Amino acid sequence: MAISDKDFELLRDFIYNLCGMYFHSTKKYFLESRLTKRMEATGAKTAMDYYALLKSPRGGEELRFLLDEVTTNETYFFRCVPQMNAIETKFLPEIVESKGKMGFRKLRIWSAASSSGEEAYTLSMLLLEKRSTLLKDWIIEIVGTDINETVINQAKEGVYNAYSVRNVPDLYKRKYFKEEGGKFILSPEVKKFVTFNKLNLYDDTKMVFMKSFDFIFCANVLIYFDLAAKSKVVQHFYNNLQPYGYFFVGQSESLHGVNDKFKTIHFPGGFGYKK
Amino acid sequence: MDKQVMMETARQMVATIDDLPTIPAVATQVLQLLDSPDVDVDEVADLMLTDQVMTARVIKMVNSPVYSPSQEISSLKRAVVYLGLRHIKEVALTSSFINAFEDKGGVLEVVPCWEHAFGVGMVAKVIADKIRYKDLEKAYIAGIIHDIGEVVLSYYRAEEFAAVLEQTHQRPIKLVDAEAEKFGTTHAEIGYCIAEKWNFPEAYREAILFHHDPRSAISDPVLCAIINLADLFCTVRDLNYGGRSWVTFNLVEEPGWQILREQFPSLAQLDVERFCYELDDAVPDVKELVSSIFSK
Repeated sequence: MAISDKDFELLRDFIYNLCGMYFHSTKKYFLESRLTKRMEATGAKTAMDYYALLKSPRGGEELRFLLDEVTTNETYFFRCVPQMNAIETKFLPEIVESKGKMGFRKLRIWSAASSSGEEAYTLSMLLLEKRSTLLKDWIIEIVGTDINETVINQAKEGVYNAYSVRNVPDLYKRKYFKEEGGKFILSPEVKKFVTFNKLNLYDDTKMVFMKSFDFIFCANVLIYFDLAAKSKVVQHFYNNLQPYGYFFVGQSESLHGVNDKFKTIHFPGGFGYKK
Repeated sequence: MDKQVMMETARQMVATIDDLPTIPAVATQVLQLLDSPDVDVDEVADLMLTDQVMTARVIKMVNSPVYSPSQEISSLKRAVVYLGLRHIKEVALTSSFINAFEDKGGVLEVVPCWEHAFGVGMVAKVIADKIRYKDLEKAYIAGIIHDIGEVVLSYYRAEEFAAVLEQTHQRPIKLVDAEAEKFGTTHAEIGYCIAEKWNFPEAYREAILFHHDPRSAISDPVLCAIINLADLFCTVRDLNYGGRSWVTFNLVEEPGWQILREQFPSLAQLDVERFCYELDDAVPDVKELVSSIFSK
């Protein structure tokens, strides 16, 4: 169902103010198709009926369903290219230089909502490519955590479908995947840097033990939390970073008004948060 | 490097260019006419019609998504009425800049160059509006012309400028620093000298000279800060000449941001993340505007 520009803007602003996810105008068709599904499910006849539902006491629950629709299939390899480029050309060399000076040759990265592992493994491939240059003799540790054990097991298995690898550059695909019967099997070389564990981001007792990371990633999760929960989790991430470490959310997310300690660092095509 | 020496070097460089573009007389006349208190639409339209290139361009621009008329505007008079006298000024001036430089692309490609120029103009206007700056059109025009020195280097010193650009793509060195190394001056000083030749008001000259160094501005530091920030935002939001991947900035540390924050404390509340996302939304409009201008 087509939504008018005015209704699109209204819904976009409402969703953004509530959860911090921004729908770009270029994503209007995408939002329309997902909204249509939810409107059918809830019996809302027009975009404005649906908007009224989101604003009603039942709205919080409905918003979760909508976000589920919107973020399904959102995980794939090389999902956020601008982020990766900035890490590769700027943030990683910067951290390697300052840690190297102190003789501390260890890099720790956390994919804090690792799902089936695509983000953690993308980073692993990226770092592998620097193994003989920038990261020669460095210890690399990538930790993936998720609340859902099924996806953790998938991540550990490291077998993907064509959809997940659609953005993988050819060079990487040839080097790090073996194709078998339409499935893409990740090479042990990529897997060896990465461990996966179950973790609930609400679990304070466990969160305090996730220490000394240089980079933390948490995409498409904080949008589900209310402001208080968001602030608490983000504060944990802040504490879990090394001084000068970086924190990244999904590419349409915003932490505006959530935490005033992080500095926002802009790079071509995006921004990240620096301790 | 000594600022005065750099300015002198720029002045000498500009003096050696004997075919420096001029701003068409019609543009100057239109601008003068628009400044007179009892200006009438027909008069403006008549004067603009004497310059066919300008007329065609204004009609193209007004029909682009940036100005988004509900139906196509095919006559200049309707364009003037639709845009209003204030906006026609920016469109007329922009149009004459394009005329002056359109066959002078040089190393920089024409389209990305104008995308950056329009992008900075547009963002400058948005920032100016947010801080209730007195003259939005001024911010827009200053944005359009801020990199005029770069266009000159790109065309008249093509080979050396290509080497400079190459450098900035390969390692994290700022364009102005690479230029200073190579030419002993930068696009900021060169732009200033050209604006001087064209008799531009001081505020514009200063915006060109200090768009990378707004703290040095004297006559209108706020305008320089606006252009500085608009330029920064465009370099990270796909209006960046095809880009230098290593460019990053932290707003809080930027002098442009600091100047505006000092003058307009309410700016602290700005949702910068959302501002960037909205900027992304505007990028296709800017690109379409530029492509419509340069389509034959």
